[in-house]
Amino acid sequence: MSTTALPAQIARVPGVAIALIALCIVFVLTSPGFATSPNIANVLTQSTILLLLALPMTLIIMTEGLDLSIGAVLTFASIILAITAVSTGSLALAFAAALAVGLCFGFLNGALIAVFDIPPFITTLGTLGIAQGLSLVVTDGQSVVGIPRSIETIYSGTAAGIPLPIILAALAYAVTHALLYHTRFGAYVFALGGNREALKVAGISVRGMLIRVYVFGGLMAGFAALLMTARLNSAHPTAGIGMEFDAIAAIAVGGTSFERGNGWLLGTLLGVITVGVLRNGLNLLAIPSSVQVACVGALVIAALFIDGLRGEQ
Amino acid sequence: MSILTSETLSPRFTLSGNVMQTLYRVLAVALLCVALTMLSDVFLTTNNILNVLRQTALLFLMASGLTLVILTAGLDLSIGANVALSGCLAASVIKITGSPLLGIATGVGCGFIIGLANGVLVTALRIPSFIATYGMMWVLTGITYYYMAGETIHGFPPGFRQLGSGHLFGIPVPVYFMVLFLMIGVLFAQRTTWGQQIYAIGANPIAARLSGVPVERRLVLVYAVSGAMAGLASLIILARINSAQGDIGEELTLPAIAAVLVGGTSLFGGSGTVAGTLIGALLLTLVLNGMNLLQINSSWQPLATGIIILLAVWIDIRTRRIGE
Amino acid sequence: MKYLVVGLTAALVALSSSAALAEGESIAVFTKNLTNPYFQAVRVGTETAAKKLGVNVIQYVPTKPDSIPEQLSQVEDVIVKKPNAIVFIPVDYKALVPAVEKINAAKIPVTNITDRSAAGDFVAFVGADDYSIGLAVGKRLLDAMGGKGNVIILEGVKGSLTSTNRVRGFNDALKEYPNVKLLASQPGNFQRLNALQVVENLMQSFPQIDGVLAANDPMAVGAIEALEAANRKALVVGINGSKEAVDLIKSGKLLASGDFNGFIQGCIGTEIAVRNLRKQSTPKEVMLKPIVVDKTNYAPYEVPVEQRTCPTLEQVLAN
Repeated sequence: MSTTALPAQIARVPGVAIALIALCIVFVLTSPGFATSPNIANVLTQSTILLLLALPMTLIIMTEGLDLSIGAVLTFASIILAITAVSTGSLALAFAAALAVGLCFGFLNGALIAVFDIPPFITTLGTLGIAQGLSLVVTDGQSVVGIPRSIETIYSGTAAGIPLPIILAALAYAVTHALLYHTRFGAYVFALGGNREALKVAGISVRGMLIRVYVFGGLMAGFAALLMTARLNSAHPTAGIGMEFDAIAAIAVGGTSFERGNGWLLGTLLGVITVGVLRNGLNLLAIPSSVQVACVGALVIAALFIDGLRGEQ
Repeated sequence: MSILTSETLSPRFTLSGNVMQTLYRVLAVALLCVALTMLSDVFLTTNNILNVLRQTALLFLMASGLTLVILTAGLDLSIGANVALSGCLAASVIKITGSPLLGIATGVGCGFIIGLANGVLVTALRIPSFIATYGMMWVLTGITYYYMAGETIHGFPPGFRQLGSGHLFGIPVPVYFMVLFLMIGVLFAQRTTWGQQIYAIGANPIAARLSGVPVERRLVLVYAVSGAMAGLASLIILARINSAQGDIGEELTLPAIAAVLVGGTSLFGGSGTVAGTLIGALLLTLVLNGMNLLQINSSWQPLATGIIILLAVWIDIRTRRIGE
Repeated sequence: MKYLVVGLTAALVALSSSAALAEGESIAVFTKNLTNPYFQAVRVGTETAAKKLGVNVIQYVPTKPDSIPEQLSQVEDVIVKKPNAIVFIPVDYKALVPAVEKINAAKIPVTNITDRSAAGDFVAFVGADDYSIGLAVGKRLLDAMGGKGNVIILEGVKGSLTSTNRVRGFNDALKEYPNVKLLASQPGNFQRLNALQVVENLMQSFPQIDGVLAANDPMAVGAIEALEAANRKALVVGINGSKEAVDLIKSGKLLASGDFNGFIQGCIGTEIAVRNLRKQSTPKEVMLKPIVVDKTNYAPYEVPVEQRTCPTLEQVLAN
């Protein structure tokens, strides 16, 4: 188990939190619109889709794996969702279809990695190509429109004043947290990262566990597809491009280590919000886009540099 | 006194494993060529073969330096952005000074410096290469976009353009570069101490360090080489399309990585060859060329590439098992 | 760590104060990406017009080129700042409709340029008729070919309205020249290297190509490079009226280029947005006339966009 990792995690708490607080202070001082409730609601809402991808990715990284296909799977799932919604008129059926797509790709990833022993980077690079290819072929490059407008409420609706996506993301976080820290499944995930022999000794199938972890990723991608399609009121074959790297960056900023497999879910949440705050603040300040691009890279490098320093202490 | 003799560093099973892998791949290339010849009557024409070789050459140049990085169990995600910045700077220099030579020096030099920076991030700052080069990619892209401000630089001297679109004895110039760097790469990796040390670092960094390998210096070297090769590739692209724009080379990062992996180099480090990367690049290019010749909808291309990658690696893993 | 925070704060304060604004209305301008020179011309147009009219424009461009979610996020962020007006090019004319609806709900007047959005309330639409440009440029090429021979079409990005309409124009031009054969129609993604490789490949399958209809200038240039490298000759036309195209027209390598003027669209879009704010009358639609730039009339297009002056609305409408 990860009892020895706990002190390291506590020492890491200030890291991403400091970055987040520092950015917030800077933006509050320099940009009048930042600290208003519509803007804060915006930042959090815009971060929800990324969070849904980053949560399972954290678990996958903890198993010394990676899922580069998760953005493309989200895209393809959203396209299937849209097509189903347009042809059947039923959002429930459409959502089920999106989850099914996520499940299939998750299973494919898990099987290739666990059974055929293909390294996760390569496997998911391959499935990324497949998912992206299918998205392009099925839509021929065009947006899919004509979805019943009721889907928009999933993204723009509120409950008790809180935007629905935030509630859904909070739910996803709670479920993932419970899964990781309070179930045997979670304990096995930790073991997959540092101590696979322990699993074998305990008679748990390493293959089965790996497949489950990637299936979890696929299902969350399907769930995120619902939010994405609701946001766009359409589906587009380029919608999710690059989101897997955004998720990885957010996770890195949050403090999860790629080498040691120490996962920290709260860190991921803070990392996602930090990246979102950075982009939002830079937009509000009208910083030229090219500078924004460089800032994101600098943030990622700085976060890991600081983490590296911490690790030494 | 280093205990790293060539016997210690190239244990026999790795060598024969490599040979088996290479053989399988050459076989795959041959089969693919046969299939394409049967399916399309323009495949085996001189022009088409030269096209394939020229496109392979570009991909190989990008992927050759990258092979060294992956051999150390690292990754360089910044090569695409490196191509963009190095290319744009080189283009400016050529336009301002009128001297292709200065431009070439700028391109390769810029790529080299970026590689050095990556190496420093990985060794001195201890940032995992995946993240360090990913962050670097964003920083480089931002700088390039800012510098180019949406403009294009176009129109280079004809002498310079020979680099990309010229022919020597009927063979495209980039192909000569490909052969040259193939030989340099193979010689370096298999026959020099430094090359052997790189394999050792990938296979077992701790043992390598204990045996006296200057791990940090070698790591900085491989990233610098990867960067310099990206700089060189940018010059060829510039010469080919006769212009520079902020987003050149962006689309080459993942195919370059794919070429290395399809070529049999393991992400875990310590095993793989530069020759394998060439064959990997050739395989990928042949597939795309075939799809174009057969007029298959270009939307299918990412799909095909994805499947090839999976197939190649799966076959690898099966044959590695047989070899052990 | 402390130094990092201090340094970051100082840098950001410096950056934001250097963007010190003049008096006047503020207009947010949205374009698709940082790399296509067409959108750079649009941005320069908006800024030139802004200086003339005494307003401020702020540019919003996705950091990931053509990213739909990013443009959506930028719209949401900008609405918080409440600019006086917005000039909008949607990354995708269907997928950004929710963004336009949000802008409408926030009661910020918005002018649509270049790509006509599939829905939403706009002050006006300023654009060029891609179809007419495709038709005019296509006819110019087929005419120059003497009405016979083989042509290929280089399409743009699959699914983009611009590409679809221009290619439609090409195809209709072809209908008027029944002795010309269309060999192939392939997407080049509006990009140079892409188009170069497509033409290279097509040249393998088709030994005789007499004309190339390219849906934009970078692709036309890519085609010319490919032809030259293979020592083959063909007449090539593009669309954009860019500086590079003009240079090639001067040297005879490019036959003509359709004028699809990002600079003017930026100018007029901004002018209409300002007139609307100042309660002056504005037309609902401004369609720039299709002009084919060739050896006879290229002079005005040689001037770099930064040095051009904006035509006024009256001048444009009078044409």
